[in-house]
Amino acid sequence: MSDRRKIVLMLVPALIVLGGLFLGGLGIGLARSLNWMPVIGLTEPNLDAYRAVLTDPDFLWSFALSFHIAFTSTLLSLVIAIAAALMIRRTGRGGALVRFLFQLNLTVPHLVGAIGILYLFSQSGSFARLGYQVGLIDRPADFPALVFDPAAIGIILQYVWKEVPFIGVILLAQMQTIGADYESAARSLGATRWQAFRHVLLPMILPGALAASIIVFAFAFGAYEIPALLGQNHPAALPVLAWRSYTDVDLAARPQAMAMAMVIAAMSLVLILAYLRAARGRIGGRR
Amino acid sequence: MTRVTLDRLTKHFAGADGASVRDLTLEFPCGELTALLGPSGCGKTTTMKMIAGLIRPCSGEVRFDGRSVLHQPPEVRGAVMVFQNGLLFPFLSVAENVGFGLRMRGTPRAEIAARVEAMLDRVRLPGIGPRRVQDLSGGQQQRVALARALVTEPRVLLLDEPLSNLDAHLRSEMRDLIRDLQRETGITTILVTHDQEEAVVLADRIALMFDGELRQFAPAAEFYARPRDRQVAEFFGGANFVPGRAAAGVFDCALGRLPLPAGAPEGTGCLTVRPENILLAEPGDAGALAVTVIDRVFLGTQTRLVVLAGDLTLVLIRPPAEAARLSPGDAAAIRLPPEAVWVLPERP
Repeated sequence: MSDRRKIVLMLVPALIVLGGLFLGGLGIGLARSLNWMPVIGLTEPNLDAYRAVLTDPDFLWSFALSFHIAFTSTLLSLVIAIAAALMIRRTGRGGALVRFLFQLNLTVPHLVGAIGILYLFSQSGSFARLGYQVGLIDRPADFPALVFDPAAIGIILQYVWKEVPFIGVILLAQMQTIGADYESAARSLGATRWQAFRHVLLPMILPGALAASIIVFAFAFGAYEIPALLGQNHPAALPVLAWRSYTDVDLAARPQAMAMAMVIAAMSLVLILAYLRAARGRIGGRR
Repeated sequence: MTRVTLDRLTKHFAGADGASVRDLTLEFPCGELTALLGPSGCGKTTTMKMIAGLIRPCSGEVRFDGRSVLHQPPEVRGAVMVFQNGLLFPFLSVAENVGFGLRMRGTPRAEIAARVEAMLDRVRLPGIGPRRVQDLSGGQQQRVALARALVTEPRVLLLDEPLSNLDAHLRSEMRDLIRDLQRETGITTILVTHDQEEAVVLADRIALMFDGELRQFAPAAEFYARPRDRQVAEFFGGANFVPGRAAAGVFDCALGRLPLPAGAPEGTGCLTVRPENILLAEPGDAGALAVTVIDRVFLGTQTRLVVLAGDLTLVLIRPPAEAARLSPGDAAAIRLPPEAVWVLPERP
């Protein structure tokens, strides 16, 4: 048996799972979003569900909210991760411990993190009570609304908490590969510390930073559990809205739920393509 | 032109981050090219980075023209370092690379363009400004790195093994270029290298370092004729060491009483004579030593002979025509010219 054939055979189980469950599910979702469900006699596909969804103000609000959550979390995570990676990369003694602590969050599930945020930042949470005890606020309820709030601060906090180490680990690895010599060369040519970062290190870590950011954005845009736990009721994040429509007693809402899911999937597809482009921009590639 | 002085410069590293330097005192003369030579790990690159301001010394001083520069960050010191593999910025074009230092100083665009072009001409790479650095050969990259440093008109030029990644042909081309540019510009230049040949060909003076310490600082020829100790002699290709004692102009050893040149150190130590300075003689000549040939290796332009004198092994390098008549097992005679021998005192 040729090596090529062996590799294909070994990949078959994974391909079955991927093709059957993932692509199959996606296909069924797409069919239903187009009102095509032969089992109950719907055999003429149309775009009614998309039309209804795309003109629904609730959907547009939810889309905007999800975009805001994803964009803000990604940007904050990226900036903090770059700063953290710059600080951590040169720690000498105890560096291994610092790195370990920095990456610890990666192993904690999102849900656990969300509950932590809830306990700490809600108006009946630890910080609110602490603020009240030391006299900063008159009542715990005076604590600013950071959870179930219109600006989705609690959700963003949770994503930033979880994604900073994720982006940071990627950046650290990249900085280690690049080494300090390029910056040294820049410094000796007359660049200040900031200029060496801005004009040499930043362009070199950009492909990795971009790739990591796209993953974080796609996740934050499409994830259900955190906005379900920490988000306000109305408007809800897009995945929450889609799930609600899907579980609506009115079966007619199903195609619309699927149409929303398809919008999220389309967004992910665009981001995956962008990721592939960014990932190809290896060190040494031109902008 | 800038005189660079190192005064008891010391650097220790906690981990394996770099080679340490101990108590290094050295003056690099104005406008000359000096080589910092030594095996890898001897602290020469550490020394160079301390001069550039990229590493802070534990103690000691770095002075440019008598003034301490230790408080100055690298970007204002004017000591520009060219790294071993060029380290061109991969996301910039050749011209953008060369103009980098000027851009960081806020030089106007038009002036940058003109100076970059002129500098690329000087390193004999006219018209390659718009190219990607990835498309350049190793030799071209190294020349662009040199141009990138020189265009900023540094006070001191620091070259870290600039030839070590090049093949033999490019190496000699680059060597000539460095020498020419250094003479034209008169910039005080320090070359770090582990290759004694490179140091000898390029440098006015050589500072030889072992284990973070300066061992000998002298013009190249002295390392061959007057090495300070056995390790120095061996580093420069010395192979013959005869233990004994020097007193009153003669050296007593297993080979007999050999006359010494004026100024040779006295006391116990080793007599050394370079393989190329031992002459073949006729048996019975005055002062000739009887030996037995034990090996002969043809090296191309030279032949290497190994002979046994008593129980001492000596190595000779002679022109092939002269050595051709000798085969392993033959009896022969050699002569050590008094002006070609030197005494290496025992290190305290």
